[in-house]
Amino acid sequence: MRARRHNSYDTPGWVALPSSLLVAALFFIPLLATLKGAVTSGTLLSSLRDPYIQKTLSFTIWQAFLSTLASLAIGLPGAWIMATFKFPGKRLVRAVSTVPYVLPSILVVLGFVIFYGNNGILNRALMTLTRISEPPLHILYSLKAIILAHAFYNFPLVMNLVSTAWSHQDPHPAQAALTLGASRWRVFCTITLPNLASMVVSSAILVFLYCYNSFSIILVLGGGPARTTLETEIYRYAKITLQPDKAAAMALISLVVALAFLVLYLCVSRLFSQPDEVSSAVRTNAKAPKGLAAVAIYAFSFLAILFVLGPIVSVIWRSFTNKASLAGGNTFSLKWYKQLFGITQANGTMGIAQDALVHSLAIALACALCSIPTSLSLVVAMRKKSMATSLLELFCMLPLAVSSVIIGLGYLFIATRLRIVGYPMVVLAHLVIAIPVCIRTLLPEARRFPQHYIDAAHTLGANSWKCFWTVELPLLRGSLITGVAFAFAMSLGELNATLTLAGRSIRTLPMVMYQLIESYNYQGACALGTILILASLLVFWLDEQLRGRESLL
Amino acid sequence: MHNKSMLMAALAMLVAGGSLLANGTKEESKAKQAQDESGVTVYATSSFCGDWGPGPKLAKEFEAKTGIKVNLVDAGSTGEMLTRLIAEKEAPVADVVMGISDNLAPRIYDAGILASYDAPALKEIPDFLEFDPQDRLLPYDYGNFAFVYDSEKLAPEDIPHSLDDLLDPKYAKKVILIDPRTSAVGMGLLEWTIEVYGEDHWLDWWKQMEPNTLTIASGWSSGYGLFTEGEAPLAISYTTSPVYHVMFDKTTRYQALIFDEGHNTTVEGLGLIKGAKHQAAGKSLIDFVLTDAQLDIAETDSMYPANASVKLPDAFDYAPKPEKNLFMDADVLAKKQNEWLDAWEKAMGNK
Repeated sequence: MRARRHNSYDTPGWVALPSSLLVAALFFIPLLATLKGAVTSGTLLSSLRDPYIQKTLSFTIWQAFLSTLASLAIGLPGAWIMATFKFPGKRLVRAVSTVPYVLPSILVVLGFVIFYGNNGILNRALMTLTRISEPPLHILYSLKAIILAHAFYNFPLVMNLVSTAWSHQDPHPAQAALTLGASRWRVFCTITLPNLASMVVSSAILVFLYCYNSFSIILVLGGGPARTTLETEIYRYAKITLQPDKAAAMALISLVVALAFLVLYLCVSRLFSQPDEVSSAVRTNAKAPKGLAAVAIYAFSFLAILFVLGPIVSVIWRSFTNKASLAGGNTFSLKWYKQLFGITQANGTMGIAQDALVHSLAIALACALCSIPTSLSLVVAMRKKSMATSLLELFCMLPLAVSSVIIGLGYLFIATRLRIVGYPMVVLAHLVIAIPVCIRTLLPEARRFPQHYIDAAHTLGANSWKCFWTVELPLLRGSLITGVAFAFAMSLGELNATLTLAGRSIRTLPMVMYQLIESYNYQGACALGTILILASLLVFWLDEQLRGRESLL
Repeated sequence: MHNKSMLMAALAMLVAGGSLLANGTKEESKAKQAQDESGVTVYATSSFCGDWGPGPKLAKEFEAKTGIKVNLVDAGSTGEMLTRLIAEKEAPVADVVMGISDNLAPRIYDAGILASYDAPALKEIPDFLEFDPQDRLLPYDYGNFAFVYDSEKLAPEDIPHSLDDLLDPKYAKKVILIDPRTSAVGMGLLEWTIEVYGEDHWLDWWKQMEPNTLTIASGWSSGYGLFTEGEAPLAISYTTSPVYHVMFDKTTRYQALIFDEGHNTTVEGLGLIKGAKHQAAGKSLIDFVLTDAQLDIAETDSMYPANASVKLPDAFDYAPKPEKNLFMDADVLAKKQNEWLDAWEKAMGNK
């Protein structure tokens, strides 16, 4: 209403109400349920003074900081290559590099052990080459391993976010500067870099938050209690030593720190998305690499591909093997796929894998479809910058800053009281996890297009509804496709919330994978993982294709 | 055009959501039905319910013998299972709980969720295994903690013979240990070091082991998984672990080590839930576990059966029995456990 007084047309805030209620019900109620103990029991103060918890907090921040640096060190050169050069297979590289983002961490851990382990593919290859009897690389079970695994997960995020911002830059100021005699280096330092700085910082904060909340990677690859983070401790206090108050106190401490970084992220990303004209110059300045640049690109691509594909291909390779026994050698086999697709009868956990595949696809489809109206309604409501929309944005982005361990505890609390957990609840839980990512993809785009487009439509007689369908939606189409792709893939790979929310009664691909890993059927788990990897790859590749075609129009 | 495609999307969503909703409620009512009927609901750990655990077979045989339906619920780890049982204390869903080891027993006694049951089969179970004088937890199998080694990675002359031997620098980064704060096997190792080195010196062993430790896993399944992946040639497990490999993998590659100092002993128990809806069915299931099911459980769980009248298959020859069984007094444990774990955490945790 206030917007009308300013003589400019805006979407009424109530359109965001149903989606906000959903986030509130599925995120804030469980969160408050978890945190209640911290306030009522008085363990918060004693936890703050506990030197062990202080050390754990500082290690949590330290490892997240190092992991962020590593992700930037790999992601930024990647962003430069992706934004500056044209080369064959670029879309495929982008699609492949997005896959780690949606893989359940237990699968990544398994891939890392199979590839980087003492008895892993890399060490065995080096032992064969150098003819030594001891594994030469000791990578896992250390801080190195934590950083490496986090970089694996997150450098694609830096690469994709920064390269998108880079290729969307208005080329005119840089061209003008070159014409006026500035060197390329000077142009880079004074024009390109300042323009990208906020995107680099905001992607770094996102990576930091993910690493800060990491769980399985720390637990298995970190090597034990000497490298413990808040998340692993919260899990232990809540689920194993049964001290829910202490878990709640640590969850509150963890949340406050994460919240500070989230607010910082939102401030930085607001700086970034100043509205400007829709740039038609996108991707016109990409060129084929030459000379030294070409060498650098091929070297980087080779290492990045080895780094990302190593663990992923290990998973795929393992899925096509069958050990006659735990101790025996590996032989090629389609056994797990035959069981998965019901060609041969399977007992036990593999027997429910086919069901799980069907359920997972249905849940992911439902989640992807639901993400369209929910995230669109939120985005159009928070497009205009004001105090209220800032709060709404913070509110909807919070699921990103809070670890699934903390939310899981709240779900547990709710589930034991309500017992209404079925597949619809799982879809909604996945939706709440996907919403922040959809908003992050849509909102910068929505804020980028100028208000006067909408004002013009209204002046020409369109109502808000028509304006949405004919102006806003077509402009958002590209990022909407990406958002939906993420919602689908994230739902397909989601494990932690499903596990804590639904226990083991719900069958999804990651849930069955988790059960297979627990009973040492690593090959079967890898077969399910392969399906997951291929499905995500397909979704992101389609996304690239659809967006690519659109940008040519 | 856009209107139409959005409409289609909305319709598709409704259909997908509707079918899932129907599916969800159907599953729920099935679970509820199973609980309301005269069956017996058993909570057990994942390892018990999983592919390679004894749970599914046991449930089938009990159903065949008695006609009572078993609703076997995979309740996750022991910790998760306890959390769930405590949360459901006022309105119990489970009738029987399985897989509580003696060193975690004080926690379940404190929670007051078990009823006493003086099962007839207790007569055939040796006294040294009956760890609960009030018969809330009844022993059904037992084992000794031991280090296992990979005979393809460790030469015969390099085999350790005692906890002291493991401190040798030649085992640098070659041993997988387990966290006593999160795992019964880890706790078993902690007790073992206290039994051997006494309350004043046990922590020295852990500190001196640091350079030889590849990783301290959070649970037995991840630790043993890394061991069979070939990540390290030595890992803490049970004397009975090789039995599994002999019976199901037909290999003697993995062997258990008998140490000169003796071995800590663990007993696994099951119990009847206080206020359970199906008391009689629960009791007959407990009787079944303590008699007819003993051999199956021992074979699949790779543990020794508690019932002394059971004859073991030959594969158990590969489960060497220690010369000395060490026990931790349950009362001392209940009193001191937290203190020990705090000391361990200070020494081994974040620096």
